[in-house]
Amino acid sequence: MANLKISSLKLGLFVLAGLFLFILTLYIIGKNQNFFGSSFEVRARFSNVNGLIPGNNIRFAGIQAGTVKHIRVINDSSVEVVLSIDNEMKPYIHKNAVASLGTEGLMGNKVVNIVPGKSAAPLIGSGDLLATPKTVSTDEMLLTLATTNNNIAEISEGLKGTIRRINQSKALWGILDDGSLAGNIRNSLRNLSQASLHTNEMTRDLGDIVSDIKEGKGSIGSLVRDTVLSSSLARAVEKVRDAGASIDRLAGQLDETVQDIHRQVAEGKGTVHALLQDSALARKLDASMENIRAGTDAFNQDMLALQHNFLFRGYFRKLEKEKKKAAAKNETAGTH
Amino acid sequence: MASTSKFQAFLTETGDIARFTGRYFVQGVRPRFEIGELLRQCFLIGYNSFPLVGLTGFIMGLVLTMQLRPSLVDYGVESQLPVMVGVAIVREIGPVITALIFAGKIASSMGAELGSMKVTEQIDAMEVSGTNPFKYLVVTRVAASTLMLPILVILGDTIALLGSFIGVNIRANTSFTLFFRQIVNSFNFGDVLPAYIKTYFFGFAVGIIGCYKGYYSKKGTEGVGRAANSAVVMSSILIFIIDLIAVQITDLLGIN
Repeated sequence: MANLKISSLKLGLFVLAGLFLFILTLYIIGKNQNFFGSSFEVRARFSNVNGLIPGNNIRFAGIQAGTVKHIRVINDSSVEVVLSIDNEMKPYIHKNAVASLGTEGLMGNKVVNIVPGKSAAPLIGSGDLLATPKTVSTDEMLLTLATTNNNIAEISEGLKGTIRRINQSKALWGILDDGSLAGNIRNSLRNLSQASLHTNEMTRDLGDIVSDIKEGKGSIGSLVRDTVLSSSLARAVEKVRDAGASIDRLAGQLDETVQDIHRQVAEGKGTVHALLQDSALARKLDASMENIRAGTDAFNQDMLALQHNFLFRGYFRKLEKEKKKAAAKNETAGTH
Repeated sequence: MASTSKFQAFLTETGDIARFTGRYFVQGVRPRFEIGELLRQCFLIGYNSFPLVGLTGFIMGLVLTMQLRPSLVDYGVESQLPVMVGVAIVREIGPVITALIFAGKIASSMGAELGSMKVTEQIDAMEVSGTNPFKYLVVTRVAASTLMLPILVILGDTIALLGSFIGVNIRANTSFTLFFRQIVNSFNFGDVLPAYIKTYFFGFAVGIIGCYKGYYSKKGTEGVGRAANSAVVMSSILIFIIDLIAVQITDLLGIN
């Protein structure tokens, strides 16, 4: 029986070691999956969870912070994910934190990343809803990429044409092959630098002038600075105003006169009335005009007689000849 | 004709084993329980198998790590070596290899021991003396192997992972903390629990087959040898069949 007792001790040790290791493994796995320890729940809504399943890890600033508890469909466009987060993370997560979906490594399990918000906000509480960015799925990315590819193809096509045209352009290659161009550009630059030097000098001069003006030197300076001048200017302005007042008065008198005339015309008195309204005077004027016309006719006849007079005939003929020559020259110019 | 008789013999044996299993359950739940003998068998079956299981586990972990390394280096995921080896050992290799070693050691010893007792008519003598031989010999052995194999598998897995740690450190350098964390973080209950539960069935199969073969061994020295031999072969095959069924069940349950 002593033999059995020793074996019992060894057997006990053996069994306990096995059980201890088994329970330890289960405990560690459970701890990793947040079965033990206090935690609180927050929610986040995504339009697409890309294969997230309960038990996936949650990372806050890259640190393991909890696991996904469950996922339920809210409606056709949103899925609510309940996140179970360790209580020890509670003092660090604020209400404006953003939950986004990611993967462990390139092809690994899905994770929920909680990224702290930029501005200050109160701490998160149990049951709060975290903001989520619009998730980009690989499919969408590829779809966008297809469009981008098409655009790039178009751009490269255009670029090809442009480059071909550039290659074919003799003028451009002429410019590029022209060895003197560099020299010219260098000269231009040298000129430009000289010009800028001059500009510099000019600016300095201008600065001097401005400082002179400030100090009251020169005519502009006195204009700006001289107080006597300004008072005489003020006087001049006063006079101008006086003159304006006189003109005003004059205009008033003129107005009265015009009104007088108007009244007289209406009442049938005065010279103007006679001019505008008296028909007898008009007839007289008409007769005078007739006489003047008759006089002018007579004068015309006298002038015609004078043209035919031998004393002046030569001069008029010469005039007529010159006129004809000018007309002929105009005609030939028109035909050509 | 020969194949029909072989098939008939196979069916007969299956039926006999089923009846034997039923008898085990009937006798097993009835008092009085042979606690002392059970503990002795546990010691002999479990504790005494530990060095063998530990050695094979250690070598398996080390070799598997070194064999997997080139492929993982090719894929550029050398850092995942502990995870790969850890999952392979805990889910499949640990339970199956340990169970096979266990079958080789225990089923053969059960077959030979019970077979020689049968041949030398000790079993009949026991029956005459008033002790229930089935209860004393079979129930204790089957229960002991059922209870001890899971513990052997857990310890064997642990030693295999230590071997893997050494295997990783032969070519690369990793800290024990990182190695441990990498493996444990990659586990979930779906990896550990099904693998643990199926080891009970492995242990039960080894115990039942070993005892059955010994208990019903043919007369003569040849019969003892054949009992030992066929106990190992059949229990090894049964281990693989149970493994196949277990993976289907875990897959159906969605915890794979």
